[in-house]
Amino acid sequence: MENMNLNKHISGQFSAELDDIRNRVLTMGGLVERQLEESLNALSALDAELAQKVIAGDHQVNGMEVAIDEECARIIAKRQPAASDLRLIISITKTITDLERIGDACVRIAKTALDKRLKNQKPLLVSIENMGRHATRMLHATLDALARMDAEVALELHKEDSKLDREYEGIIRQLMTYMMEDPRAIPEVLDVLWAARAVERVGDRCQNICEYIIYYVKGKDVRHTSYEEMEKDLNL
Amino acid sequence: MISIESSTMNKEKLNLSQLSQEQTALEIKHLNLKYGDKQALFDVSMKIPTKQVTAFIGPSGCGKSTLLRCINRMNDLVDNCNIEGEILLNGQNVYHKKVDVAALRRNVGMVFQRPNPFPKSIYENVVYGLRLQGVNHRRDLDDAAERSLRGAAIWDEVKDRLHDNAFGLSGGQQQRLVIARAIAIEPEVLLLDEPTSALDPISTLTIEELITELKNQYTVVIVTHNMQQAARVSDQTAFMYMGELIEYADTNSIFTTPKQRKTEDYITGRYG
Repeated sequence: MENMNLNKHISGQFSAELDDIRNRVLTMGGLVERQLEESLNALSALDAELAQKVIAGDHQVNGMEVAIDEECARIIAKRQPAASDLRLIISITKTITDLERIGDACVRIAKTALDKRLKNQKPLLVSIENMGRHATRMLHATLDALARMDAEVALELHKEDSKLDREYEGIIRQLMTYMMEDPRAIPEVLDVLWAARAVERVGDRCQNICEYIIYYVKGKDVRHTSYEEMEKDLNL
Repeated sequence: MISIESSTMNKEKLNLSQLSQEQTALEIKHLNLKYGDKQALFDVSMKIPTKQVTAFIGPSGCGKSTLLRCINRMNDLVDNCNIEGEILLNGQNVYHKKVDVAALRRNVGMVFQRPNPFPKSIYENVVYGLRLQGVNHRRDLDDAAERSLRGAAIWDEVKDRLHDNAFGLSGGQQQRLVIARAIAIEPEVLLLDEPTSALDPISTLTIEELITELKNQYTVVIVTHNMQQAARVSDQTAFMYMGELIEYADTNSIFTTPKQRKTEDYITGRYG
């Protein structure tokens, strides 16, 4: 938003309302980021207490989604936003949906951490740790781009996701080998696979958020477009 | 890009800079206007498409009403008003010396902010223009009155009291009566200068509904202070500022992704 250098609204109250929901989205993003970090920590240390904390924390994320959505509906009804203001509200309602889903992914990961059978399967978790760090970095950078409404960074991050996808494929291959070697461990391995899937989905959600950032800044809907088209659209 | 079929999205988007002759109702070419020393319009050029609604928006004093009034030469009545440039209606410059202004205004009807019915019956208001043209057959006048009143979506409300005084109608009804009077003589273009700013919200919606009906038959140009109204009723929107045409594009893009910073500031309420 700063890089668009828009003036203040004539209605200071309107500006304040928009600033307020923007801040709340960033707060929600920060909360989800902490949830992700803690769920991954809980998984690698198999820390049940921390995992329970993450699971309990999800209702706070859900509550924020509902509250921000309500505020957006109120602003639309009261102010009839247009142009960039309208795009901001739309981007926000979509962003918080994806943030909430990332929150659900954290719960999925935390639930895996509660699986006591994994105590004997610690090597399985090492590869997820790596991927998890990657996903955390991506979420952090996405929230950063969101705070600064930086379309160029958003596009770069959008491309990042394919790396996460490749790591996920690597993990699948590795877990399949485990399953073949020791079929008795399949239930635990499947559990880990679910967690890996959840981490992979975080990347996809970040990608969506990047698309909303581009939509807000450039006014172009870049969903389901190739990178060549995107770059052409954005004149990068 | 995936494309989703839907009636509104499918609406053919006109390329405003490349309208063909048949698609163009009005073409404004390099129009400059001065009231005495003060220049009110600066080199305005635009094409207004046929049978569509085109809205002019902008802050007070930006020249949108002035531009509208140029189209049927209402500014001729203003002293010291100096106009350069051309406005082509069907390829004919309306400012050509040989143009009969009365004939022009028959072709380009106008409705103002405040309803201005004549102090006569509803019926006489509607057929007034036709009588001036020499139509005197009762049947023809009756037909025209009914057609126009239906066209202006007021027939059902007044059909039982056609010979009552028009001042007995409410503001919203009077405005629709005035629109009926304007369309009775079957103009090609209808100019609406803030037609709803003196009306309550419900009457406003009725008139807006009417405007979308009217474009099936007429080219409608509307000046409005109400941006949401422009967004609701128009196909094209022109944003004017300090006598200049800043941005002119299809309404959907103006209200979601304006290209010009000034347009953005104005429609998001940042102007000032």
